[in-house]
Amino acid sequence: MKVSLNWLKTLVDIKDIPADEIIQKLTMAGLEVESVDDETSKYKDFIVGLVTSKQKHPNADKLSLCTVSDGRAEFQVICGAPNVDAGQKVVFAPIGSIIPNGKFKITKAKIRGTESFGMICSEAELELSDDHTGIIVLPEDKIPGQPITEALGLNDIILEIGITPNRPDALSHIGVARDIAAIFNRLVQIPEVNLIESDKKCTDYASVEIEDPVNCPRYSAKVLLNIKVEESPEWLKERIKRIGLRPINNIVDITNFVMYETGQPLHAFDLDNLSGKKIIVRSTPGKSEFVTLDSKVRELPKDTLLICDAERAVAVAGVMGGENSEITGSTKNILIESAYFNPSSIRRTSKYLSFSTDASYRFERGTDPGNTVYAAERAAAIIKEISGGEILQGVIDIYPEKIKSVELTLRYARINKILGYSIDKEKVKNILIALGMVLQTETTENLTVSVPVSRPDIEREIDLIEEVARIDGYDNIPDVKKVTITLGEKNDESSFASQVREIASGLGCYEMINNPLQSEMLAAMTGEPINLLNPLSGDMAYLRTSLIPGALAVVRKNINSGENNLSLFEIGNVFNKKVSEEIKSFEDFEEKPRLLFLLSGKMSEKTWDQTEKVYDFFSLKGLINAFLLQISLDNVLNDLYYQGQNRIFDLTFSKSLGKSSIGEGGRVKKEILKQFDIEQDVYAFEFDFDALKSIEKIQKRYSEPLRFPKIIRDFAFIFDSNTTFGEVKEFISKSGSGLLKSVEIFDIFISGSLGDNKKSMAFTLEFFDSNRTLTEDEVEKEFNSLISLVTKKFNAKLRGI
Amino acid sequence: MLLEKIQDIRNEFRKEFPSIKNAADLENLRIKYLSRNGLVSSLFDEMKNVSREERPSAGKELNSLRDEINAGFLQLKEKFSKEESKEKVLIDPTLPGRIVNYGSTHILTKTLEDIKAVFKGLGFSVYEGPELESDYYNFEALNFQPDHPARDMQDTFFVSKDFLLRTHTSPVQIRVMEKMKPPVRAIMPGRVYRNEAVSARSYCMFHQVEGLYIDTDVTFAELKGTLVSFAEQFYGEGLKYRFRASYFPFTEPSAEMDISCYICKGAGCRVCKFSGWIEILGCGMVDPNVLKYVGYDPEKYTGYAFGMGIERTTMNKYGIHDIRLFFENDIRFLKQF
Repeated sequence: MKVSLNWLKTLVDIKDIPADEIIQKLTMAGLEVESVDDETSKYKDFIVGLVTSKQKHPNADKLSLCTVSDGRAEFQVICGAPNVDAGQKVVFAPIGSIIPNGKFKITKAKIRGTESFGMICSEAELELSDDHTGIIVLPEDKIPGQPITEALGLNDIILEIGITPNRPDALSHIGVARDIAAIFNRLVQIPEVNLIESDKKCTDYASVEIEDPVNCPRYSAKVLLNIKVEESPEWLKERIKRIGLRPINNIVDITNFVMYETGQPLHAFDLDNLSGKKIIVRSTPGKSEFVTLDSKVRELPKDTLLICDAERAVAVAGVMGGENSEITGSTKNILIESAYFNPSSIRRTSKYLSFSTDASYRFERGTDPGNTVYAAERAAAIIKEISGGEILQGVIDIYPEKIKSVELTLRYARINKILGYSIDKEKVKNILIALGMVLQTETTENLTVSVPVSRPDIEREIDLIEEVARIDGYDNIPDVKKVTITLGEKNDESSFASQVREIASGLGCYEMINNPLQSEMLAAMTGEPINLLNPLSGDMAYLRTSLIPGALAVVRKNINSGENNLSLFEIGNVFNKKVSEEIKSFEDFEEKPRLLFLLSGKMSEKTWDQTEKVYDFFSLKGLINAFLLQISLDNVLNDLYYQGQNRIFDLTFSKSLGKSSIGEGGRVKKEILKQFDIEQDVYAFEFDFDALKSIEKIQKRYSEPLRFPKIIRDFAFIFDSNTTFGEVKEFISKSGSGLLKSVEIFDIFISGSLGDNKKSMAFTLEFFDSNRTLTEDEVEKEFNSLISLVTKKFNAKLRGI
Repeated sequence: MLLEKIQDIRNEFRKEFPSIKNAADLENLRIKYLSRNGLVSSLFDEMKNVSREERPSAGKELNSLRDEINAGFLQLKEKFSKEESKEKVLIDPTLPGRIVNYGSTHILTKTLEDIKAVFKGLGFSVYEGPELESDYYNFEALNFQPDHPARDMQDTFFVSKDFLLRTHTSPVQIRVMEKMKPPVRAIMPGRVYRNEAVSARSYCMFHQVEGLYIDTDVTFAELKGTLVSFAEQFYGEGLKYRFRASYFPFTEPSAEMDISCYICKGAGCRVCKFSGWIEILGCGMVDPNVLKYVGYDPEKYTGYAFGMGIERTTMNKYGIHDIRLFFENDIRFLKQF
């Protein structure tokens, strides 16, 4: 909300306090000043200029060549405005001025071959309004050379204050002034209303009836006759413009002025267009339609609070007036509405219509139900002062059940318990009184106050403590230098993920963080996705069901930027729907963390001593096994391999614990890659992260290094080509004695020279005993027996030893 | 007898010495003559068999033999080591080293780990909670009234009437308090979502760390002290701090914590929007209504809570100008950290 410091100064005496201090203290007290617009510095460069001559620009039809005098010297200035003329007093920006709109600096410029030494300004350029149709023409009486801050009274400071939703009372100048008064220990001066009423009774001219007192607890109105709708006087227009509103006419401007002064939204009806001269406040029994001030037909749901006359609706209460009763140039008699509506009701309507106004913004946060009559009278008095007419006697004020103020007791000891320091009792009392609380009783331990109805946020003792703390200033709360820590079990649910991240990066992978929101196409690829009811876009309308599609999109993006070699990992949650209908409980869906590894492209480029290496299935397998070793899950899980039978991979391997798979991966199918327009192979592996986390890890034990020599033997056989390393290894390991400690493959050779459908595999066998030195003989015996066993079992032929 | 042997060995050495051409030969020579089981050593062993009369002259001869061999050995050793270093010059050391593949954790992970390290040092546990939450945990139990404009502070993605993507990590506060009796001292990192248009400054998904401490004598003063200590450890010493009054439905009183801009040192720059201050977190004393929701007695227990955004913190610290960079996973970005 924009607040004018000059306006505030009419409400609280702060002339002696520097603006910087006011801004700083307001911010500290919770009315955060988000930006400051200081007119004095913004307009310091601009002066009144006199246009002494005007000619057409020699080389441009639409430009004028002017001479501008600042009272001492004359400047040649080129001006593009159609309304510039000799003899005018204008706002002149000399060289070096900074133009507020666009923040550019005026320099000596050559325009179509002619030099220009400054600029004649429009309202838009000075940010005085959005009018850029022509330059500002100043009144005759201004003196050339006079700073425009003086000539136009541009000496205000405009504060943009972020008002939190709990402080509807601060959505007005009086509200802000009240906080300032409390902070600086000053008094708020509420403007007096000088009401000169005629002897006609308002109740003879209009009446109000509330049919729904729950949603409209109070409705007050003043009636004026014979007013004149016209342009507002300068002072009012200036006030309105300063807070960022556009002047419309005197009646609308005054209702806005009073709203920004008091916080009470007002609405003026053309009394002659109110059928039966009657206002009825009621909620719609069913759906209906209404044409609002902006000439739009809006559909209203059941239970929308409406302002009606004897025949029809004339306004959506608290949100917007109707076309049928709005003030026009010919309006003579008006009714000023000043009501208090139920905040929830207004919020529901405003949300339903997706439509927020200055009025609805205030009503839905909670206006001051005690202030309706004052605001109506304040507006009436100003209208009469400005536009004449007569104010009818009395006020219509329907208030079936008065909203009572809350009484609260504040224990001084509780302040210390919450804040950690004690505040002088007298100070506590003064702060509360300055904020409008009324002292009821007090003892040495506590005090009881009644809270003004303008403060719906103060309902409990803790809320009073907050008021005291923020006005006294959080700076006064000491920050302790010592804290006590309760000993006991400390828990870190994220520690395993941290460990995994360190390991994965140590294994050469880069961590990704992908947005779990994705398109239906991606999300449906791997599961039963959950959709958002209100997505930002189709690209982000579903929750991912696997980490793979998002990662493939990353591969695509990187290839686009020329980065083809990728080793990536991610830990993140995936979401799957378990029911077909709407989600009503946590049982209806599953949210589970997963861990993904992905390899694609080259492992290493060609270098001066090495040929390039490309990631393949075995790179992935090696990576996964190294990872499992590091988290102590090697030898716990079994491997399974299969081709086909998988949505994502054409060559798959999985890791399982007993029979339950805890992760699978492999080479991503070509048809999947095609959907991402990826031509290179991609290898990925996805783990159920909770399973990895919960499987009992093998406790590592130290084993003595071998003290006796190993004996190593190699042999190679020719096998049928469908014989796998895995089965041969398993057979040899099983057939060997306890002396055979390892079987590894060191060569594979496929060639027609071996015979059709044959391949050669060569193995290295390691024999040792950790307690003694083996003899050549015993190893030789076992080795020979293995040769004959392998030969027999696989119908293999020994190729060499 | 021994004197003869000494002479034989001397002759053998003198014959052999000129033929030593390289370091390997020299090493063999050393082993033959000078090692523990070498010839010289064995001659010394024989000294015990020599008669008392012969001993002085034999000892003298033996020492002189040892010194001669030693001197010869050292002379060649120096010569060969010089030759060896001449040979090294022939290798081109400016060739690039062999490639070692390495990876890295995401920069947001690094920031989070730094934050976690500080709070774990201050005795905090770490808990996590779901991203797909119920309205109850995300709003109601945190004292957001239905139809209250406070809900507008956090634009929400809904998946059904009562389920949504959490808009903050605060629901984990409720989950932790439901599970535990005071004292509760924990931080709760996690991913959150806001239905806000994507731009350089805001994204529809980001990360927060929530903090909570509930016990019998927790005060605002302790909150301030703890957070100042955090900021000093995380951002460095010598910064200024301020706590401004603010509003969150689940804390009362509430505050926002600013630190003096560590980029411009308070002089005013783009990062601090020329204010000299950078907002780093929101905090406050846990609202009694929240304590009541989880069954804690607000008369007996008090506590504080705080929450901070990981992205904002990281952007400020590393000079990252566009939040979207975090989630594009451009390898050229990932490799920088």
